[in-house]
Amino acid sequence: QSVKGIVTSGADNSPLPFVTVVVKGTQTGVTTDAAGKFTINAPADKTLVFSYIGYITKEVTPGNQTELSVVLEPDQKTLNEVVVVGYGSQSRETVTTSISKLDNKVLENIPYANAASALQGTLPGVRVQTTTGQPGAAPRVIIRGGTSINNPDGSSPLYIIDGVIRSDMNDINADDIETLQVLKDASSTSIYGARGANGVVIITTKKGKAGKMQITFRQNTTFSQLAKKYNMMSARDYVYFGRLGVLNSAKKIPERMSVLSIANSFGTGNDLTNRTYSTVQYLTPQNQYKLSEGWESIADPADPTKTLIFKNTDWQDVLFQTGISQNYYLGAMGGTEKGSYNLGVGYLKSQGIAINTDFRRFTFDLSGDLKIREKLKVNAFTNFTNSGNNQVFNDNQIFQRALALPPTAKLYFEDGTMSPGFNRSIGNPLYQLSRYTTDNHLYRLTLGGGLTWNILPGLTFEPSTSLYVIETNNNSFQKSYLNGPLAFIDSRVATGMRQTHWQQQVDAILSYNKSINQHGLDFMLGASYFDRKISALSATGQGASTDIIPTLNASATAVAVSSSITRQRIISFFGRANYNFAQKYLLSLNARYDGASNLGLNNKWGLFPGASVGWNIHNESFWKGLGLTGVVNILKLRSSYGVNGNLGQLGDFQAQGNYNVGARYDGTAAIQNTVIPNSNLKWEQTQTYDVGLDIGLFNGRVNLLVDYFNKRTDNLLTNLELPLETGFQSILTNYGSLQNRGFEVEISGTIIRTESGFNWNAGFNIATNQQKILKLPANGNERNRVGGVLVYDPETGKNEWRGGLQEGGRIGDYYAYKQIGIFATDEEAAAAPIDNIVPLASKVKFGGDVNWLDVDGNKQINSYDRVYLGNPYPTVTGGFTTAFAYKNFTLNARADFTLGHTIYNYTRALYNGQFVGENNASNDILRSWQKPGDQTDIARYYYADQQVQSNLFRQNSLYFEKGDFLAIREITLGYGFPSALTSKLGLSNLRLNVTANNLKYFTKYSGLNPEEGGQDNGRYPVPRNFIVGLNVSF
Amino acid sequence: TSFWTTQEDVTGARSGMYARFRSFTDFNLYYLGESRSEIMGTGILNADFRIPYFQNRLNKITAPGPDWGSIYTVIHDINLILKYAPGIAFTSESNKNNILAEAYTMRAFLYFVLVRTWGGTPLLLDPTESFDPATIYKPRASEDEMFKLITDDLAKALELFPVNTYPTKRGAWSKPAANALKGDVYLWIAKRRNGGESALNTALAALQEVQKTDVALLPNFADVFSYTNKGNKEIVFAVRYQDLEAVNNYSGDMYIRDSDLPPGVDAETLKKIGLGGGMNWWAPSETMRKQFTADDKRKDKSFVEIYGKNAQGNPTFYTSIMTKFSGFIDANGRRFLDDIIIYRYADILLMIAEAKNALGQDPSAEINLVRQRAYGDQFEKHKFVSTSKTANDDEILRERLFELAFEGKRWWDLVRFNKAFDLVPSLADRKGQTNLLLFPLSETVMSRNSKLIQNPGYE
Repeated sequence: QSVKGIVTSGADNSPLPFVTVVVKGTQTGVTTDAAGKFTINAPADKTLVFSYIGYITKEVTPGNQTELSVVLEPDQKTLNEVVVVGYGSQSRETVTTSISKLDNKVLENIPYANAASALQGTLPGVRVQTTTGQPGAAPRVIIRGGTSINNPDGSSPLYIIDGVIRSDMNDINADDIETLQVLKDASSTSIYGARGANGVVIITTKKGKAGKMQITFRQNTTFSQLAKKYNMMSARDYVYFGRLGVLNSAKKIPERMSVLSIANSFGTGNDLTNRTYSTVQYLTPQNQYKLSEGWESIADPADPTKTLIFKNTDWQDVLFQTGISQNYYLGAMGGTEKGSYNLGVGYLKSQGIAINTDFRRFTFDLSGDLKIREKLKVNAFTNFTNSGNNQVFNDNQIFQRALALPPTAKLYFEDGTMSPGFNRSIGNPLYQLSRYTTDNHLYRLTLGGGLTWNILPGLTFEPSTSLYVIETNNNSFQKSYLNGPLAFIDSRVATGMRQTHWQQQVDAILSYNKSINQHGLDFMLGASYFDRKISALSATGQGASTDIIPTLNASATAVAVSSSITRQRIISFFGRANYNFAQKYLLSLNARYDGASNLGLNNKWGLFPGASVGWNIHNESFWKGLGLTGVVNILKLRSSYGVNGNLGQLGDFQAQGNYNVGARYDGTAAIQNTVIPNSNLKWEQTQTYDVGLDIGLFNGRVNLLVDYFNKRTDNLLTNLELPLETGFQSILTNYGSLQNRGFEVEISGTIIRTESGFNWNAGFNIATNQQKILKLPANGNERNRVGGVLVYDPETGKNEWRGGLQEGGRIGDYYAYKQIGIFATDEEAAAAPIDNIVPLASKVKFGGDVNWLDVDGNKQINSYDRVYLGNPYPTVTGGFTTAFAYKNFTLNARADFTLGHTIYNYTRALYNGQFVGENNASNDILRSWQKPGDQTDIARYYYADQQVQSNLFRQNSLYFEKGDFLAIREITLGYGFPSALTSKLGLSNLRLNVTANNLKYFTKYSGLNPEEGGQDNGRYPVPRNFIVGLNVSF
Repeated sequence: TSFWTTQEDVTGARSGMYARFRSFTDFNLYYLGESRSEIMGTGILNADFRIPYFQNRLNKITAPGPDWGSIYTVIHDINLILKYAPGIAFTSESNKNNILAEAYTMRAFLYFVLVRTWGGTPLLLDPTESFDPATIYKPRASEDEMFKLITDDLAKALELFPVNTYPTKRGAWSKPAANALKGDVYLWIAKRRNGGESALNTALAALQEVQKTDVALLPNFADVFSYTNKGNKEIVFAVRYQDLEAVNNYSGDMYIRDSDLPPGVDAETLKKIGLGGGMNWWAPSETMRKQFTADDKRKDKSFVEIYGKNAQGNPTFYTSIMTKFSGFIDANGRRFLDDIIIYRYADILLMIAEAKNALGQDPSAEINLVRQRAYGDQFEKHKFVSTSKTANDDEILRERLFELAFEGKRWWDLVRFNKAFDLVPSLADRKGQTNLLLFPLSETVMSRNSKLIQNPGYE
């Protein structure tokens, strides 16, 4: 009997293509066409199964009907989704550990050069920080606070991409990603043993499905802009305050007066030749014509009888541009009962908002599987990427110093040639970047394959193997350049670097699952071999006689050559057992036994167990009896405990100690002992206790996941600071314990759902993380403190050691001097405590200097008067999502927030303190103290503050700024053309979207990027992107 | 471990030791040995952390001076050699003894630097090869223990050196250099530690041993420091600096880059400066500059004063630069890779004069050798004639200023002659506060070892 029919979506009544229709219990199946129609031969008494990703599978028995109209309801119940666990997958209902899954919608609209950026604010407990706007750069990902005392920002998770173990997910095309999940607790990650302590990110790429070939084409164009500028002074203000600043400094150091007349950024020694870098000069009959060419003039504040002329240049306008990026993706998938395939090809070309920065990436992903016998399937995949970028030569010199190149500096000389700026490090970015070329390429190739052998019903054997190769090829060339107008450097340094990362992996998994009555059982046993070798070769040469040949062969002198080979091997055995009784009581046990080549001789092997339990209360008859199922349809309590390892910062041969080569003395090669051996080194051990609750309300309209975790890491692999008398700064050792604990809440739901097709979904997540150092090795100090500062504590009335690392404390606390005000007058300053931090012998202070908090009240300002000013690490992260759909329109928005971190805005302090002597300041200076009686928070402007009163240089509390922010990460308006139109065109889907990305940071931080705590030494600002996208399927 | 089995391991480690010693001499030796004297003052740029040195306002947190890590790193290298080299077979026993002797001399020199800078410091005689909390935190040794080790090491070294000659280019310790150090050490013992006549005699004998070797004053003062004349006959031991091996040393911080020159500098000065380079972070002080007479041939090869022009067209003093170590010029601009001289013959002669004077002998011969070269045909005007012991000492100390300025010795000279409070302007108002002659232990050093006790006055 032939049955025909149409399948439509319950959400919008539109026809659903590619729905799999199978006769239950047979291999017979078809898929629906672009109009949702199908025809299948099936006996009347047989049931048809309709399934489609994202919809609830439906079974229909046609009986004697030959025309079916089937409606599939979208699957709203994330609590019923399938999640990937280590070496397998499981239904969310039986999962007893803490796993977060990315909603693929966030990958849809923004062409991420690095898909990890999509995790920002979308998964609770996963801290993602965009630390740079360099196109293609990877964000920082830290799960549940990481595990490191020495390098808390370096605790990156383990990435498993189609079973291949990696240290990052760089160059994975977001369009190729099928699922992305994060395993957070130790019970789920202990199956990855010695490397799982920082969490595990599991990614699977798209795989083919049985059905007609489906072709997808996507194209995006992105316009990127600088979202926020520094408020720098104009040339007029700079000349005025620059010269006043010298007069101010000369009150204490009379010799400073000489800089008013030399060829500097506000001095009068400049002229119109190519020998001076600044435009400032006294007005003369010879240069008067410049005033008609856009130059400006003011009276010299140091000698008002004279007139200064100068030209203004905004260096931010010179450095920044609107970047334009193009992204293309073509995908094809399909298959039959026998086999399936998926192919994805992508190309991204991305322009940075800073000149001379860009990123290019080509990606190719091909996978397929084939049933070669009834019980034997073979699969293979390949993933190839080629990426490359151009970067500035130094972030600090470009994004801090060059932006502060005085606005009076020449962009071009009179003869039309480009001026170099003060020198290379405070340079004209247009010139200096044009003299430096890079050519960086990275090739990644993953080849893998495996078998699935269904030996007996429920018993499966899956051996697999993979090869992962990364080939890095970086070259740079410094053309001859002017390091300032008078210093011509033509050493022409060229560098070349090649590195090959070669990684082989063999895994074998045997799994068995069986249900007997109410008892559900599954077992998994596995073994894994991992072998990674990195070989590198680099060379530097100089002395080329031309700028035209950038390669090393043009060099006259070999400056340095280097090569290295390093290798790590890990052998592992692991297993897991899951048991459930009537889907009510759940138990999961797993363990891994790992041996790693880089551990100390005495500790090469370790065992990492995990256990978790769960209780599906909603499956209990008493719960059903309560009659609450209409409100609370899912209620699961789960708890887990596990032990992980981490090899994080352990180098391949570090445990053996190092003798370094490469240095030379008097032409002879030197050997130097640089690392102390430690044969007792073992992995650090993290125990995590996690308790969680899954709640489904109103029949899946609202889902809630709550977790509390308490993670304790012992035997931290950390650098212990040694007494300098030992000849070493530190030794890598296992010591101390660190605790991270916090809450994670994830809530999502459908707020409005109407017959007219108006839907509103929203989600919210938040996670907290509190960190505490529990134990440090005994070293005779109180609380076994390492480092820190001695400051007065008003509570105890004594000087106490604070900061550094101490038991009971946090990592990274800041202590510095507290500005309580600015002296309005000299008299006020004279009455204040004596300031011993002033570097000069004379401690005299003036009106306009900072009034410091004298914490111990001893009428002396000294190092004991420092106070706590925050911590660089965030304590709360999270995000919001919301999606509106009406008919063919969708509107999605996403925001994320990070709270609790403090940034030392050194860039602003350097600007306002004129630390370099040749740098512009921010507009703050316009409200700085200028005359007796002025009430302000900005100290008087000094030339080289650090030399005079050190109002800023000593570290002033005003420049320790809260980094708290809320970022509007995405707003997308999408339009899907109606199927009536698309089917006429032979298309199954046609969608357009307009997206704004990184639209706005709501923050009090005055720098350009609030995302990262710590000292701001100039950061590549995160661009604001506007994206227009097209998505076609047929 | 597989290291420390062949003689090549030892010779590689020897080069490693010298390379790290060179890192210490890049800047730190100068900060410790000279920066606190009357030699330096502000330049045109921000002298910043250098200010507390020449103003003698050291402080354990904001201005502790260099810490001792860079010294103890070399001591670790030495201790490894002294532990393993004796058990390794060499094709030539004298090569092995030479390396051991170099290591002992180097250790004596470094502990001599440590004890003069901080007083007693922890004594480490074995390499650090593992971490044991029970033994790794060591208290400070007494100065007596320090000097016992220094003199013992020197005795061992002098016994082990197989020959009394110099290595090619004089870039390593040798028997003459060990004797020079021995003279230096015993002069200190005599004058700072009541070593008396016996110490003076030991010093004099050791220094006179140096005279027996292939060493001489070069006829022209400037030639001693010429970049192309490294390892010349006047050198006893200099730390070798070479392109692609080493970085610019402290001398680059006392020069000037062209863009910082004021308008109106006369042509003669511009010629003396040549191509600018480095930075004028700090500069020769007026106190030292004004003591030089115009006929002293050492003046131009020590410093140059730079004058700009004021509004009336009259020359006004702008800054000065150090010219003794002015490096060389290549495609990267001016490079400051002069060798750092640890001992040279003029220094030996003046130390002999110092020892003789203290012993009541006539020091004129040695002083006049130095002055003859310095003043040439004007020598008769400057001829030294012995008068009283004290006056002679003053003359010797002043001669050391003229001869050895910027060579990293002045502060220790002032302390040895007990003249720091008399001759350093920034100490003039603090006479009697002899605790200031030591450096503070930095907060970093203190915070890493709770057994350390701070120097008096710096708590």
